[in-house]
Amino acid sequence: MDHTTLSRRRFCQLAGGGLLLAPTFLRGQSSSGTLTAREVVARIRKHVGVPWRTPTADDFKIGDPDAPITGITTTFMSTLDLLQRSAAAGNNFVISHEPTFWSAADVVSDLRDNPLYHLKLDFIAKHKMVVWRFHDHWHARRPSDGIFAGWDRAMGWENYRVKSDNPFSIQYAIPETSLEDLARDMRKKLNVRSMRLVGDPKLPVTRVGNGGHYILQCMPQLPKVDVLLVFEGREWEAPEYIRDAIAAGEKKGLIQLPHEGGEEEGMRECALWLRTFVDEVPIAFLPSGDPFWIPA
Amino acid sequence: MLTGQVLLERIQKNVGVPWQSQRSDGFSDGILEGDADAPVTGVVTSFTPTLEVLRRAVATHKNTIICREAPFYSRGERAPLFWRNSPGPPQEMTDSDPVCRAKQEFITQNHLIILRLSENWDARSSDGQLRGLVRALAWEKFHLPNKNRQEYDPRNVYFQASKNSLGLLAQDLMAKLKIHGVRVIGEATSPVRKVALTHGLLLVADSERMLREQDLDVVIAGDAVEWEAAPYFQDLVTAGRIKGLILIGQQASEEPGSGEMAEWLRSFVTEVPVEWVPAGEPFWVLA
Repeated sequence: MDHTTLSRRRFCQLAGGGLLLAPTFLRGQSSSGTLTAREVVARIRKHVGVPWRTPTADDFKIGDPDAPITGITTTFMSTLDLLQRSAAAGNNFVISHEPTFWSAADVVSDLRDNPLYHLKLDFIAKHKMVVWRFHDHWHARRPSDGIFAGWDRAMGWENYRVKSDNPFSIQYAIPETSLEDLARDMRKKLNVRSMRLVGDPKLPVTRVGNGGHYILQCMPQLPKVDVLLVFEGREWEAPEYIRDAIAAGEKKGLIQLPHEGGEEEGMRECALWLRTFVDEVPIAFLPSGDPFWIPA
Repeated sequence: MLTGQVLLERIQKNVGVPWQSQRSDGFSDGILEGDADAPVTGVVTSFTPTLEVLRRAVATHKNTIICREAPFYSRGERAPLFWRNSPGPPQEMTDSDPVCRAKQEFITQNHLIILRLSENWDARSSDGQLRGLVRALAWEKFHLPNKNRQEYDPRNVYFQASKNSLGLLAQDLMAKLKIHGVRVIGEATSPVRKVALTHGLLLVADSERMLREQDLDVVIAGDAVEWEAAPYFQDLVTAGRIKGLILIGQQASEEPGSGEMAEWLRSFVTEVPVEWVPAGEPFWVLA
């Protein structure tokens, strides 16, 4: 792996590298005319605007792709609670941005004796559910990354994006506010509870940069912005970087969001998008929600 | 004369385990910055060498900082496991970054030595990080150690809960450690009796090992990957297998161990002063 790469998978999305899969969809609609998960995925592949890549995390994780579906739930994370709510809503096809089995690649070989794994499997089998992951290609969607299109819409920042050819350098020019007021606005609009902040609450803010998860994304952005947003980042990276920037006399701030805060709204966007080419079954966005709360 | 190298060798001799780098990728324990042959004028221990910690060291005439984390916001890994953290920024990026440059200049101008001590400290049979955290919480009286093992064996992580609900327990941790950014999974009103107290990044495999303990209600850790242990605990709570998870932050969970480290260093470094300088919690939270 090259020293400068962010991650294999995320760069794969961008570079357009990797083998193209031949569009061999084994089955579409079943003989009875009932819609299947596999047929929905075939339509997604047709509409996403980029060639399908391999390797990819975007695959069926559990359940029978050829079984009839009753409804579709889009969500950020297919937690057990989310699966229960989806089943209660009558939607047996879950499209999840993040893993189902607690690792980036949904590796289950270590989980064979794990009671929680079996409990989740049993629930999925009992309710004839199927889970498909939609991560890499929803980020790679053309004309724009579906996740951050949803984030912009939730914040009302669609017109504030600073033009850039680098999809890892998303920046916004916003009307002047303070770090604290921006954080309050974001907490409300993104429906998050576990936001953590670095910097002077009164710091004037007009430029905001999306630092993603990694210091490698944060570092090139900082000189151009007042505040960096990070979601799901390790604490020895961005928080310590911004703390030192401030100690060195720079006027900077950090908003560290839960992962959902940075990406969940993108799955609401996904439901809207799916409705433009799937009309046989109901489609609902169900938030998996901020996993954390912070005691007062 | 006590030089950086002599200090490192003395640590290696006293650590009580064969010195090794257990990391296939990333920084190893040893001198990361500074001249190993320069004399040590004093030692500061800290979780992480922030610019403020370095300034405090200089202000008190100590040129050597012993810490768990590295100075430039990375553990130096070229290919971090499972996308949990960032690959280390390349040299050209840090060379042109104003924050890294300011810090590097401060280190150079003040002839500082930065020594990383993490894996080898953790390999000791008594977990100094756990012991430090227990002392910071004054939880010695709640410890439920397996008597067949050393008291602070890394597996002796079980405690009677200091408060009887998840919410009150979380608030107790905040008050004792004087921190704000504590994140909780689970219901505030859930009753809790038995706690696993850990530090650093919690992985799913660690959690599974702890869940074999009878009647465990809650796990305390520093941080969790939000597509690994965090949803794992959400699912455990939904399934009724545990009451909750409390994440106190990487710094808060590891910092008291640097106090233990300072005490241990004083037992064999007598020529110069040794001081623990906590880096402090980086975060604040909205009311």
